Amino acid sequence: MNPAEELKQKLPAAVVSTGMQVNKPMAVIKTEELLNAARKVKEMGFDHLSVITGTDYNDHFEVVYNFFSYNNKQNLVLKVIADHDKPEVDSLTSLWKGADWLERETYDLVGIRFNGHPNLVRILLAEGWMGHPLQKDYDMMRRK
Amino acid sequence: METDELIVNMGPVHPSTHGVLRFRLRMDGEIIKECTPVLGYLHRGTEKLGEMKTYLQFIPYTDRLDYVSAFPYNYAFVKAVEELAGIEVPLRAEYIRVITMELNRIVNHLVSIGSLLMDLGASTMMLWGFRERENALQLFEKLCGARMTFNYIKPGGVREDIPEGFIPQLNEFLKDMEKRIEDYEQLINSNEIFLMRMKNIGVISAEEAINYGMTGPTLRGSGVNYDLRKYEPYSIYRDLDFRACVRNEGDSYARYLVRIDEMKESLHILRQVVDTMPEAKIVSSAKYGIAPMTGAPSAVSTYFPRIFAPPAGEVYSRIEAPKGELGFYIISDGTTKPYRVKIRSPSFCNLTAIPKMVQGLKIPDLIAAFGTIDVVLGDVDR
Repeated sequence: MNPAEELKQKLPAAVVSTGMQVNKPMAVIKTEELLNAARKVKEMGFDHLSVITGTDYNDHFEVVYNFFSYNNKQNLVLKVIADHDKPEVDSLTSLWKGADWLERETYDLVGIRFNGHPNLVRILLAEGWMGHPLQKDYDMMRRK
Repeated sequence: METDELIVNMGPVHPSTHGVLRFRLRMDGEIIKECTPVLGYLHRGTEKLGEMKTYLQFIPYTDRLDYVSAFPYNYAFVKAVEELAGIEVPLRAEYIRVITMELNRIVNHLVSIGSLLMDLGASTMMLWGFRERENALQLFEKLCGARMTFNYIKPGGVREDIPEGFIPQLNEFLKDMEKRIEDYEQLINSNEIFLMRMKNIGVISAEEAINYGMTGPTLRGSGVNYDLRKYEPYSIYRDLDFRACVRNEGDSYARYLVRIDEMKESLHILRQVVDTMPEAKIVSSAKYGIAPMTGAPSAVSTYFPRIFAPPAGEVYSRIEAPKGELGFYIISDGTTKPYRVKIRSPSFCNLTAIPKMVQGLKIPDLIAAFGTIDVVLGDVDR
């Protein structure tokens, strides 16, 4: 069984829908259930958090987590949808230490806040920078 | 005796930070209590630029992420685009791509080992490494006119076929390199000072390395037998005979040895590729999309539209770059420009573990351990 379906079976309340992202199984997770789902995903053997991608869709944000399992050689994609006015999702730093900088980068460039992150400050841009450049309404002409 | 903790600032302009990385070190005497890397001095907004350029225009920007080994970066982006749009690639082009990427792996490891030894105070390896690197760069120059930033691999193939005289020169390089690697090993491997600086320094266990998201030689140096070329094969790696180079110790010395082994494995791959490469006479009939097309069909490229817009969708595609797992996450909205380009850079993710690796060591050990992680700041800061 593909791991996205397996996750849905284990946590029916957390998974909104399942599908494929080209060749990788994907599950869309309820935002408030992310930490629970992630914990389950880690139990299922997905020990490698490959990348966290945040995207601005003008009316909402999406945060995508790409996981991989070294033992089972499987991929899994988790996706959560965050509110546009108040983009907040739970931090996964308690499960994967590698999430620390990836989340900081997503906060820095896309502006998504990760609740429970131990040190959510900018990482690439300078301290005191205004705005988040990867938001679609970011004004490129104004000096920050 | 009463002692105080001291904050030491190292970098961003420091010869052994390989660019512009800064460490904030909380020191207790000579012992590092806490190491905090400060990034961003080379941030050029590459992901934002990706949203403002067309797919083809973005390829040169990928060269400038890791300027020590740019071919894999070209390829990783192009591979993601090809997966997104379903573009077919002529076999000969895949062979050429693998030649460039494996040569680049050797170049990368030469620079990595050379600068590591340089940081430890031994300049011979730097000079030797750059001597052999020059031969490889001349091959690149012959191939595409550029020595470091190539813009050579494009969706549907490569820009041009290999020029006359390239393969003989490559064979010469392979023959020469085999002897050279032996020389390196003789020079370095059992050097007492080197061993003292490397063994049991910057140790990281397999579980921790995975948890920190480390990949590539840094992960394999901790005993995790994983190489994307082998276990998630792309291009023609499925048909090639090679092994993933693994060491179990997890210290700086293990990571160094993995790189030496990988250079030998790359030579082995290159020899196979040269031997089995398909003829240039077979012109590809592969075609993408509908007319108008650009250029004539060739042996190394798919017939490709002048204005390129992949279908809407999203893809995450990753390869084994010399430094680790390199991925591009591309979201297309069906227009000629990507909606979002996310770069999963191996240097950035591997660097996450440095505070853990150097805790309780001394500053010279930080330099040794950092050297074996092998980062390029263009790739860290993007």
